Amino acid sequence: MSSTSAGTEPAMVTGFDAAAFERFVESRDDPGWVVDARRTAFEKFQEQQSVPLDPEEWKRIELRTFQPQKYGVRPSSDAAVQFDTLLQDRAQFAGHVSHTDGACQQASLDAALAEQGVLFGDLNTLVRDHQELLKPHLQRASAQAADRFAAWHAAFWTGGTVLYVPRNVVISEPLHSLIGLSEPNAADLSHTLVILEDGAAATLLEETASAQRDVAGLHVGSVELLVGREANLRYVQLQNWNEKVYHFARQSGHVEKDAFLQWTVGGLGGKLAHVHQTVDLDGRGAAAEVNGVTFAVDRQVISYYTQQSHNAPNTRSDLLYKEVLRDRSRVIWRGMIRVEPEAQQTDGYQRSDALLLTSSCRNDAIPGLEIEADDVKCTHGATAGRVDEEQIFYCMCRGLTEYEAMHMIVEGFFQRVYDRIPVEVVRETLSQAVERKLGIGD
Amino acid sequence: MADFEQVATIDEIAPGGRKSIVVDDVPALLLRVGDDFFAIEDVCTHDGQPLTDGPLEGTEITCPRHGARFDVCTGRALCMPATEPVATFDVEVRDNAIYAKPKT
Repeated sequence: MSSTSAGTEPAMVTGFDAAAFERFVESRDDPGWVVDARRTAFEKFQEQQSVPLDPEEWKRIELRTFQPQKYGVRPSSDAAVQFDTLLQDRAQFAGHVSHTDGACQQASLDAALAEQGVLFGDLNTLVRDHQELLKPHLQRASAQAADRFAAWHAAFWTGGTVLYVPRNVVISEPLHSLIGLSEPNAADLSHTLVILEDGAAATLLEETASAQRDVAGLHVGSVELLVGREANLRYVQLQNWNEKVYHFARQSGHVEKDAFLQWTVGGLGGKLAHVHQTVDLDGRGAAAEVNGVTFAVDRQVISYYTQQSHNAPNTRSDLLYKEVLRDRSRVIWRGMIRVEPEAQQTDGYQRSDALLLTSSCRNDAIPGLEIEADDVKCTHGATAGRVDEEQIFYCMCRGLTEYEAMHMIVEGFFQRVYDRIPVEVVRETLSQAVERKLGIGD
Repeated sequence: MADFEQVATIDEIAPGGRKSIVVDDVPALLLRVGDDFFAIEDVCTHDGQPLTDGPLEGTEITCPRHGARFDVCTGRALCMPATEPVATFDVEVRDNAIYAKPKT
């Protein structure tokens, strides 16, 4: 079913059926090959409707109350929507890109970097001007869409942030990207694409935000990080929607020979958030560090499905997720380290720790290993536990209130993962966001 | 606090029958035992999966996967592997319509 909402102009068409798809394609000015790729993906999306989702990934996620037909892509969006962002004004950035309800509002890049061939902007614009660079990625995403959410995204992607750094160009200042949702029931299907050529280095800080606290929204997003030989990428995504937004994301990183990817995910917002995150270590000596900070409250459900794939020898991966839960929230983490037969001398590590602040929250942690090589080191583990009453009592004996004591314990719990985040502004931001969720601080 | 919302009509559900409903954004199961109606959250507290097709005997529903049993009147867990009660809803029948809301 699709319907047209009355009131605001231009009208938003809700739903994602064939009629909505045709209107969506007509409303855009995409090159022919993009439309073809969308059509391929839309066919898959329709086929996938009747195919059950992989139970290993989805069975713990409640989709019975999720009604995709309530959401829609806006044909265009009003500028000048203000967001209460976590990061935007906190540091000096070499460039900004912002999107609202799927449409690009602003894109800027330091002129000196642009001269060196760096591209940082909106996918809709760059797909026309730099199609030789982007075509293979977008076509592959359509052809390989693995499930209905991936196909949905590949058919309806609305835009997204693109960063391209040429060979041996090192960007010292971070870049900033904001994905915002503003109108009721608006859908954002943004595609973040980062390509670092051999020897390049960059830091991209991306955040998601809702303009209003009580407005429902939908994000079906994708992130692709391609890290060339000896390149170094630091990517941060802070998911900070309001508690009415559904967030589905498919995120992947590919790390080539001797390259390093440091990836930090923050899961703070959303009504239901599911992130499918894979890191492929494709070249000898590739390394990846994945950090996760999650704080769920009320009835939030935040789920991660992570895979570290060691596809070449001498590769190293290190994943650390820290989750704090309160009220009736639920956090699910299912992690896998996969080692291919040729990936000898692999060093793989994964760990998830959950701190449960109330008895009514629930944490499911399922670490896993699939090892086909015979000379590797792989370690995994998970913990879940309540706050120790004696620690609270100890703090209160020294003059802290119970709230302050709880804050100190939560902060201490996250500290180990904060210590691994090399960008100070991200550490500070996360720490303050956690304070806010605890109900103290500003 | 959430108000009663209409979730079904009496003639939709035969005695011993059931209907999947959503109450206050929570998937629930409306069950008819004789002329009485009960609503429970449609999630087994043991494994977090739906109870939807679980066999109902009297007022006891059995989880179709691991055999946990719950009393649909009170939500009480009656046997292992479930230890926590399943949430129940207040149900009211007015004329031909059935209403439900979360317990206060």
